[in-house]
Amino acid sequence: MAALLTIQDLTVAYESRSGPITAVDHVNLELHQDEFLAVVGESGCGKSTLGLSVIGLLPKPPARIVQGSIQYKDTDLLRLNGNKIREYRGTEIAMIFQEPLTSLSPVYRVGDQIAEAILIRELRKRGQSTIDSEFMQRTYKRSARQLKRTARVGHRIPSDLSEEVIRYLKLVRIADPEQVLDRYPFELSGGMTQRVMIAMALSQEPALLLADEPTTALDVTTQAQVLKLMKELIRKVRTSVLLVTHDLAVASQVADRVVVMYAGEIVEDADVIDLFSNPMHPYTSGLLSCIPSGYKDDSELTPISGSLPDLRSLPIGCRFAPRCPHAMAICSKQNPSLIQQDNNHKVSCHLYGQQN
Amino acid sequence: MDSKTETILRTEDLRKYFPVRKGLNPFSRREQRFIKAVDGVSISVQKGKTAAIVGESGCGKTTLARTIGLMTPATGGKLYFDEKEITEAKIDRNQIYRNMQMVYQDPESSLDPRMKVAASIGEPLYGLMRWDKHVVNEAVDRSLQLVGLSADFADRLPKQLSGGQKQRVAIARAIAIQPSLVILDEPTSALDASVQAQILKLLLKLQNEFKLTYVLITHNIAVARYMADFVAVMYAGNIVEYGPTRTVISRPRHPYTIALISSAPIPDPKTRNLLQTEIRGEVPSAIDPPLGCKFNPRCPFAEGICTSSNPPLQEISPEHFVACHFVNKTA
Amino acid sequence: MAVYVAAAVVVLVASLLNITVTPYDPLLQNVGPSLGGPSLTHLFGTDFLGRDVFSRVVWSLPNDLFVSFAVVAVALVAGAIIGAVAAFRGGLLDELLMRFTDVIFSLPALVIAMVISVALGPGLNHMMFALMVIWWPPYARVARGEALRVSHQNYVEAARFAGQRTLGIIFKHVLPNISLTLLIYATLDVATVVLTYAGLSYLGLSVRPPQPDLGEMISTSQDYLITAPWLPIIPGLVIAIAVVGFSLLGDGLRDALEGS
Repeated sequence: MAALLTIQDLTVAYESRSGPITAVDHVNLELHQDEFLAVVGESGCGKSTLGLSVIGLLPKPPARIVQGSIQYKDTDLLRLNGNKIREYRGTEIAMIFQEPLTSLSPVYRVGDQIAEAILIRELRKRGQSTIDSEFMQRTYKRSARQLKRTARVGHRIPSDLSEEVIRYLKLVRIADPEQVLDRYPFELSGGMTQRVMIAMALSQEPALLLADEPTTALDVTTQAQVLKLMKELIRKVRTSVLLVTHDLAVASQVADRVVVMYAGEIVEDADVIDLFSNPMHPYTSGLLSCIPSGYKDDSELTPISGSLPDLRSLPIGCRFAPRCPHAMAICSKQNPSLIQQDNNHKVSCHLYGQQN
Repeated sequence: MDSKTETILRTEDLRKYFPVRKGLNPFSRREQRFIKAVDGVSISVQKGKTAAIVGESGCGKTTLARTIGLMTPATGGKLYFDEKEITEAKIDRNQIYRNMQMVYQDPESSLDPRMKVAASIGEPLYGLMRWDKHVVNEAVDRSLQLVGLSADFADRLPKQLSGGQKQRVAIARAIAIQPSLVILDEPTSALDASVQAQILKLLLKLQNEFKLTYVLITHNIAVARYMADFVAVMYAGNIVEYGPTRTVISRPRHPYTIALISSAPIPDPKTRNLLQTEIRGEVPSAIDPPLGCKFNPRCPFAEGICTSSNPPLQEISPEHFVACHFVNKTA
Repeated sequence: MAVYVAAAVVVLVASLLNITVTPYDPLLQNVGPSLGGPSLTHLFGTDFLGRDVFSRVVWSLPNDLFVSFAVVAVALVAGAIIGAVAAFRGGLLDELLMRFTDVIFSLPALVIAMVISVALGPGLNHMMFALMVIWWPPYARVARGEALRVSHQNYVEAARFAGQRTLGIIFKHVLPNISLTLLIYATLDVATVVLTYAGLSYLGLSVRPPQPDLGEMISTSQDYLITAPWLPIIPGLVIAIAVVGFSLLGDGLRDALEGS
């Protein structure tokens, strides 16, 4: 299986008043075609920074790509400038965010926003300079020039486009799509706006979908609906997904593979079933035993002792060593690297030797 | 039933309605409408136990917590603390607060940013007990110790603390006065997973040590299961199911409870429960809820009577109450 | 930032000199030639009555500054309390207090000051009083906005669980947390008061001659603009420096505090 996205040795730092803070530190990651990958970690581990750097949405400054490459198909996304990366963003690579209400423009109707996404897709598909007017005429019964004008949101959607918009709204299981077309984002609930976001993202027919905590702000029943929807649609549309989340349970439900991050580094990278049944890194097993399971007076909850490290003053050696129940002498001297074990299971820990 | 377990808190048909602003026309003949946040809740909490109120956003659980905590006067119904009625606005709240305290969800806004930790923890001691400085300082130090913070935290300001540490201070403040009841409003929702586990364990330890009663508000089923002896499921201002934790969570009978429990992601990739749940629709408006049972538009078992009559809680097995006309369908 | 502080400090120090040294008695006439230009013996020259301008300027500076600080201080305290109480109690009290604030705010400052001064008679204290009466509304507005934000924080409700009554909460929790914003606004405001007061004393509503006052000095010497330009210009410059100095100080303070 070819890798769709290869992140190599990526290091991202933020400038702060007390000096640079390395949010992502020499990260290596691969996402394959049709794969659902979850990047899991607690706050400050660098997972959001990782996600945003793929799509080029990091605010630079204060963020800075120190080194590394992000190979998407044959192109290094990090070497592209603003204009070039826009060709990918919203077409091949789509993104959905955590806060549904702030992700959609509050001054335009929902239908118009989805229509804009579709129009941009069609215009881009035809290339920048020439638009196949034949095709446009046939498909949308409008001339390219008229369509370009309509592509500015604010004009009402042409009726034939509204059919496609409704199709997408139905795809994301929104009831009464004809009504929702005319609504403004603030009139919709959190769950519905998130579905609209998914509709917009999928209308691009992206090869890669980035999702940054897409269900964290939603109620648990809505979350279940949205996650279920995402899984179904992704199968249908053949999109690969990179999901960023702090919730291991959510990852276990939807992901094919899980990557665990701690203090800017990847500590474990494995197939989802393997990770949960055989967690190798002490942080991963610590995280798993932090999830309350079982009933009162009947279950053991073993929290990880200590607290998350301050990224400004990281310990020498393994970053998890101060909290690790299995720490050995070498752990405070040398930071282990991510090494592949059996089963395509990678772990960064001195407890495990080299595997060739 | 253990005859020694007494009820420390009881509500009878408690209601809290918020008037909807009528607009600018003072002569408008439109009837006053209300947001019925809590619409007839009757629960009882046993001393020394944890009662969890579980629900999603908009169900009214936070309003219920605030009404029980006397932060907002009830619109109807009765509230009893230690078998004394405390519903009236005229009661001496400070007397009650000597035995009832609250821990809030957001650690960032729970502590006055300009007050040192010791001052925050000591505030209820000065305000409610009128102890002198010496006694208060001792109590503050002891509180800090109980929540796992060293004595030097006393002089720190909130901005020097992490989220977890702030929440510990908030807990220290709540228990300093040695109350009998603590209302916990989503105490760990804003914290990372590893910190959440530490705080939950701390809360259990404190409960054991001081025989505290907890009213735990949460949307997280796993937390409710781990912490609570009793679970009450709230939907659109009403309790739809109530009973011992084991019963409600492993053998839920109300259709909403069933959907809620099966929506909670289980950290096991081999049982992908999430992808099997089927729940449609959205949480109803609190101003114009559906007629009859508020869950009926979304309920797979709804029939005729469900659209005309809101079912009361009925005891279907010892201590297990469900508000559903067709509870036999979910057996 | 250093520049700003230096400017304000210079003005403050100058006002303190009054207590220690003025070369000449500011009221004494004919200590020098009438309309003498700036010289070594009379740094700022002399006016038409032979009085030393430098001494008069130094003598009147602390009055100006005292008035400005006092007005701002009173406006700050009054506005903060009114705004905080309005925001915290809400309801009818909020409406009443805020509408009252609006009414005072809409009164033209200069006109009211003149009316009060005419009613009470001229003089520094009366002018100060007049300014205090009308200066507080912006503080009340800012205070109300900030207090609304603070009153929704959980620690305010937690204070109730701690046995605090409304008044106690306002003084212990609300006011301290809104004070930063108000202080920054106040520092910038001092400059405005200096200017307003100068304007009013120019109109003759403040001190009566022969008491020296910067605004008054300008108005009595404006006829000499061509013949003895230092007479109106120097007091004007001093006012300008004070205004700019305090404005910059306020800016610097805001930048430093908001950065933290």
